[in-house]
Formats: sequence, structure tokens, C-alpha cells
Amino acid sequence: MPPTAEFTPLLAPFSPWEPGALPLVVFGAIVLVVMAVILFLSGFLVRRRPTPSKQQPYECGIRPTGPARFRYPVPFFLMAVFFLLFDVETAYIISYAVAWPELGLPGYLRLAVFVIVLGLGLVYAWRKGGLDWDEEEGL
Amino acid sequence: MTGFGEGLFNPTDAVINWARKNSLWPFFFGLSCCFVEEATAWGPRYDIARFGSEVFRGSPRQADVLIVSGTMFQKIAPVALRLYEQMSDPKWVISMGSCSNSGGMYDVYSVVQGSDQILPIDVYIPGCPPRPEAVFEGLMLLQKKIAAGEKPTRPVLHLPGGSQGGREDFLVDGATKCRDTRGPGYAGIPIRGTAATEPRFAGSRAEVMWTPPVPGLVLTAGQETLAADLAAVFGDDARLTDTVPTPGDMPTYVVAPARLPEVLAYLKEKAPTRFERLEDLTALDETARRVPAGHEATVVYTLTSMSAATMVRLTCPLPSRDSSLPTATGVWSCANWYEREAAEMFGLRFDGHPDPRRLLTHRDWIGHPLRKDYEGRATSRPAFTRADCERLEPVDAAEILGRRAAAGDYLLNFGPHHYATHGIIRYVLAMRGERVKAMGIDIGYHHRGVEKIGERQTWHQFIPYTDRVDYLSGIANNLSYVTAVEQLAGIAVPPRAAYARVMLSELFRLSNHLMYFGTFLQDLGMMSPIFYALREREMVLDIIETITGGRLHPAWLRLGGLAADLPEGWKEQVDAFVKIFPGRLKEYHAGVTRNPIVRARTKGVGGISGATAIDWGITGPNLRAAGVAWDRRKAMPYGAYADFDFDVPTREHGDCYDRYLVRMDEMAQSLRIIEQAAARMPGGRYLSDDARYCLPQKDATLRDIESLIHHFVNVTRGPRLPAGMAYAATEAPRGEQGYCVVSDGGCHAYRMRIRTPGFANVQALPLMIEGLSIADCVAVLASYDYILPDIDR
Repeated sequence: MPPTAEFTPLLAPFSPWEPGALPLVVFGAIVLVVMAVILFLSGFLVRRRPTPSKQQPYECGIRPTGPARFRYPVPFFLMAVFFLLFDVETAYIISYAVAWPELGLPGYLRLAVFVIVLGLGLVYAWRKGGLDWDEEEGL
Repeated sequence: MTGFGEGLFNPTDAVINWARKNSLWPFFFGLSCCFVEEATAWGPRYDIARFGSEVFRGSPRQADVLIVSGTMFQKIAPVALRLYEQMSDPKWVISMGSCSNSGGMYDVYSVVQGSDQILPIDVYIPGCPPRPEAVFEGLMLLQKKIAAGEKPTRPVLHLPGGSQGGREDFLVDGATKCRDTRGPGYAGIPIRGTAATEPRFAGSRAEVMWTPPVPGLVLTAGQETLAADLAAVFGDDARLTDTVPTPGDMPTYVVAPARLPEVLAYLKEKAPTRFERLEDLTALDETARRVPAGHEATVVYTLTSMSAATMVRLTCPLPSRDSSLPTATGVWSCANWYEREAAEMFGLRFDGHPDPRRLLTHRDWIGHPLRKDYEGRATSRPAFTRADCERLEPVDAAEILGRRAAAGDYLLNFGPHHYATHGIIRYVLAMRGERVKAMGIDIGYHHRGVEKIGERQTWHQFIPYTDRVDYLSGIANNLSYVTAVEQLAGIAVPPRAAYARVMLSELFRLSNHLMYFGTFLQDLGMMSPIFYALREREMVLDIIETITGGRLHPAWLRLGGLAADLPEGWKEQVDAFVKIFPGRLKEYHAGVTRNPIVRARTKGVGGISGATAIDWGITGPNLRAAGVAWDRRKAMPYGAYADFDFDVPTREHGDCYDRYLVRMDEMAQSLRIIEQAAARMPGGRYLSDDARYCLPQKDATLRDIESLIHHFVNVTRGPRLPAGMAYAATEAPRGEQGYCVVSDGGCHAYRMRIRTPGFANVQALPLMIEGLSIADCVAVLASYDYILPDIDR
């Protein structure tokens, strides 16, 4: 609120945005302590009573067949990798767009190189069959 | 703990107990009928959220209350025990319903006589099934127990002493538990009288009673032609039976075992009347007949002609109960499970059977339960203990799939405990990634031995058991059973009773389809529809409660009529419902049917062709969704159905979407029937005046001594039915449910065979599911509408 003739605050309003290392350190320390307390309590208060049945994996009440570590087709992994790739690209492009007035044409060209290289990578992966996976056998 | 610290932790104990008791997390674990009421408690009218327990967890790791809702079967007991062990501590157990408390009505070889023999039970809820309010009562008792009895601070802080969690000890028969059916404290006092056990109730005065012979059979023109044709082709190897009395429901042929597959194939493909469907296949143990039959076992094949709307029965006499006969799986693939069941239950062998293993009982089960010399009562057998749990551990997934699982497939157990299996059935999936390559089915976790029980309950006493065969369809089950017995004895049903039966059966069809609507969509990921569906279902149950006094299991039909007349005020309630429901149905369609996600998940998923469906014996809405306009209410009307005007909804593709739509349309048609039945309800008697078999009307028993005597005799030792055999099937909500009742001229059935829609329907599931992804598998299961006691009986 801007000071007016009728009302003038005695103190300047406190701003949490003011630079200063101490509040950050205090804040960080509090976070660490709280996290440590929570982790300790949830580890300490829990009642662990392991029995052979309890240690088994839950599979609808039946003893599982075969090991859990086996060759598993990875289409979801691929999907996740592609997603990450383009997600990172989006993050770059948006932060670049915000800085457009300062960067100007040189910035535009540099980013274009980045996008083209990524695009080439995509074309390469696509042509190698990276997008048509066999969902039963993986790649 | 005494001394220092006594009382120190009281405040913290109170706080911890308060927090725990108000946020109990029940485990999503249902065994049978009771679970329906438990789930209703979660629904809109009852709203278990008021008690802080609305979040039913699907995994034992996240749950701390196990509500054992339903029958504890010996086959499921090892699974239940493991799930309890896998729950997080501290944990509590509520036993819900008579079956879980003590075995309840099911004093039979396959049922544990009380969950407390393997699990530590904190609270027992009585009832069969307990109402949702009773679930709350149990929950509140548990809350009180936690608040009053537990001192959790010390164990929480790792100090010695204190207490938390429920009981940890289970009961041991003879030491801490008594299985005496008269209650505890009778040890050493001999039981007076004799129990009704097979083969017959010793010393019953019914033995000297005369009964009129069963109505005979007059062949129609088509049946004459078929008989002449079979005589010409097979001569003496397939002849009309000459036993007295001749079954009056359909022509019965005696077939030589060696030529059986030939005769079946002929009837299926070449005979003048084609019999497209193998309706039922079962066996009879003839060793306890009053008049020896001359052979020890009979295998019975029941066939249905859908083109001519007629049926035929083939019987195959076998010299001994260990005999073998050729398999029928070459003619009908669906004979597979039927033959496995007949083999394990009677000890027969089917030569050439592709998969001769036990089906309903565990691999290591000893004996053949439906043999007459097999002890059926669990209370006459050794008590089930934790050691038996180890013995009856479910077999490994690899064993169920056998050679059908290729190397490198991941074997996944889908059930017996799973949200989407709708009961305790176990699918074993051979997975490649997300794709189901092969599917094996392990059933029998819900085997309640009801066919064995049918051989020791009197004809009337058995009625409550029929309610529980398909626990969502109550009276529709009664109808199948009483129709068969009435057919056997030739009992005429007065029109008022016939109309009321139709009305109630259709109300149960509505109630069942509403539950289907809710659970189907919930399995597809829509949370809201089930709340709407349960709201309407409660309206239906209110009507049923007004009329019968019961909700799920009214047991309200009697031989020859009903238990009581329709009460005052029934019509207003039905009329109000008929007015409200069409609008609600429109709401459902607006909210769901056109939903693009529902369509994408269900259209073209899990389809089956009409011809395949008939061949596999699929019945009910699942058959009609595949384009076959066959409904027993229209094709072979029973009861009063011929008087009503309604359509048979069908669809084309037989996929999940079509199965859903057919049921939605059936609800509208059921409503039409209910409306007509209510409007045209005739007056007059509600029970047949055939006093030999039927109970007298209640008001008459209060006025004249003759009726009172008939009431007394027919209620206590039960009516004596003439010897004979009859099969009657009805269009139950899930498909065709048939009862084959065999009487040897006693007060109990000699053999009680139940042909259920689920058994045949579920057997065909791999046809639809193999090749789909696992998410689609859930959609198919949800759209298919089966129920466990109906499969396992």
C-alpha cells in the first residue's frame, strides 16, 4: 500500500524477496530438521513384524510363479525417453521465448540449431524403427 | 506392567486409539454374498464414510481391518490366511455373516466351519447376510474394543508391555472351540434322533405314504419323428427309455456308452431336429436307489434345440462308478469342464479327455464328494486347521496353464483376490508385455457343495439354498428350482402366485443389472455410476423388502406358490418405481452410453460370434449380445411369462459394448413386465391347494385342523415326492439356470443338479480374452457379468 497523508506505516513493509543469505540458510536448516524428524519418527514408530508370508510379494493371495527379474519388453521405457526428450526441448524453448527481447536474432539462430539437431535425431530414431515397437518382444 | 509408568501413558493411549479407531482401513476382500451388503454399506444410502472407513484398500499392505465377508471355503482358506499375514500391523479381523462365523447353512465338506479356526477374529457380525446397518454395528463394536482395550503407547515407543492390534490366537476345535451344532456344553450328552443323511432319513413315516405317479410324457409330432429316426440309425443303441416312471419333461433316450459321441454328433448335425447346444452334462450315483437300478452310475446329457425350441435327454448307464466312457469334447468343446466335474465328483473317467484334472476341488483332494457313500457334513469330518491350509495351498500357476505357456511368458495370477475378478476366481495369464498370450482358469474357490446339500434337505428346506446360488438374483433362483419340482410332481400354480413370481423375478433382474451397470463402469475407471446404480437398486430392494421381508435372499417362493400374500401397499411402491425409473435410465444413457472413453474401451473388444457362443453353451444377455434372439421367457415360456408383452433385445457383435447395451435394454423390458404384472395382478390363492405337496395358506392353518396338520407335516419332515426326474430352466438375469431334480420317492432329492449360466459362460472366456491386452481383459470380465457361486455352486 503506498503511503498516503492519512496513513504512514511506522516500519517499511517486510519483503521476503529481499536478497540475503541468512533467511535461506535458516529455511534450509528447518527443512532438513523437519525431514529428519519425519523420517526418523516414521521409521521408529512403525511396528515391524516380518513373517515369511508377509515378506512375500502380494499377487492376489497366491505364491508368485517365477522370478520378478526377467526380460520385459520396454515400449513404456521408450515412450518415457521420447517424452523426456521433447519435454526438455519444450523447457528450453519456453525459457528462450521469455528472453527473446535480449537475445534477438543470434539467439534465434542458436536455438534453431538445437531444435534441428533434435529433429534430426527424431528422424533417425523414426527411420531405425524406434517408434514401431513390438509390444510383445520389445525392440 | 506395574509400578512406575502405570497410568503415565493413558493420555497418549487415548489419543492414539482415537486416531486409529476413526480411520480404520478395511481390506477389499469379499468371499461371497455378505460382500454385496458390505459394498452396499459403502454406497450412497448407508455411507460408511461416516465412520471413517470408506477407503477399501485393494492391497493388504495398506489395510488394517480384514472383514471376512462370506463363506470361508477350504480352497480359499490358505489364500485368506496369507492375505491376513500380509496386512500391516496392527490389524483387526471382523467376521461377517453366519458362514464366516460358523459355517452357517453350509455344513458341507468344502466349507470351513468358522473362519476363527484359522484367523483370529475380534468381532462377529451375525446374519445371513447381515444388513449394511449390521456392518456398522460391527465396525462400531471394533472401535469400542480399540478404545477400551488397547494400550498402544508402549509398543509404539518400543517399550515393553502395552498392547495394540486385535487378537492373535485362532481357535482350536475341541480345546477353545466347540463345533457341536447344539452349542457348547453338551459334551457327553448323546444326540437324540438321527440327522437327515444320505441315502434317506431313517425311520421317516413318509416311507409308508402313497404318492400319485408322476405325470407321463406324450411325444409331439417332431419328437416322434426324431425317435423313429434315431431308431432307424442307431437301433437299440439309442432307444427311448422304458424305466418307470418315465421323465415327463422331455424325451429320454438310453444310449450305449460306446456310441455316445456318434449319437451326440448326429443330434447336433444330422438329425431331423438339430440340437445346437449341450445344455448340461452330469452324472448320477445309482448305488443308493430303493430299487436297485442294475447299474452303478448314469451319465446324463441334456441337449437343447434352439431351432425347434425343444429338449432331449440322453442317459448312459455305466456298470460301475469307476467306469470310463468316451469323451464328448470332440462334439462340443464345452463338455470339457462338465466332464471334469463329473469325473471328480463321481470318480468316472472320460477317455480321450484333453485335460483330465480335478476342476472344483483341490488337486490333492481325496474322494468323490457326490458319491452316495461320501460324508457330506463338515461337522462329521475332522475340523479344518492351519495345517490343512498348507496341504491345500493353491497349485502353481505353471501347473494350471501346463504346456500352453511358452518359455519366456510371465505368469501372472489374476485373482482369487482381486478387485476386477468380482469374486474368488483365479485366472492365470501368460503375459508377453501387456498382451495376454494364454489364459488358464482355476475355479472351485467358491464351491459350496450345494448339490450335495440338496440331497439331505427336504424339498422345502432347500429353497433358501437356491437364493444363494446366484446371490444377486434372489427370487429368480427360487423360481428355477420350484419350477423344476413343480414339473416333477405336476403341481399347478395359481395365477396370482405366477404373476407375483414374474414380477419379483424381474425386479431381481433389474437389481442385478443395476449392480452390473455400476461395477462394469467402475472397472472401466468411472467412479460415479455405481453410486447412481446403488441408489436405484435400493429402491428395488425396498419393494422386495416390503413384499418379502428380505433383501438379498428372501427365500420367498414355495412349491406351488409364495410364502405369503402380497402385503398392503406393495402396488403403490411398484407404481412409484415404474414412474421414476425410465427417467433414471435416460440419465444413465446420457452420462455413460455416449461417453467416448467408454466406447473406445469397449467397442470391438472381446467380441464373440453367435455360432461360437451357441456352441460353447453361452446363455443370457451374453448370447443375445452376439445376435442370437434366444430368450427362454419367449422361446420356451415358463410360469406366467406367456401372458406378458415384451421384446428380446439383441445386438450384433457380441463385444463389451454390446453386452452392456443389451443389459441396459433389458432393464427397460423388465420394467415393462413389472408394470404389466402390477396392473393385471390377479386375485385368489397365493399357494396351490395341492395339500399333498404344498404348504397350506397361513390363515387356513389358524382356522382348521386339517390345514394345520398339513402345515406341520410338510414343514417338518417335508412332502414326499414321487420318484422321477425333471429338468426345468429359466431365464435368470445372467443366463439360463436349470435345475435337474431327481427323486427316488423320498422327502429329499436323490440328486440335485444345478445347471448354471456362469459355468458355461466363464469356460468360454479364454476365447474372448486371449490376445487382448490386460486392460481389455478387465473390460471383458466386467462386461461379462458372472457370479462365483453360480460357477462353483
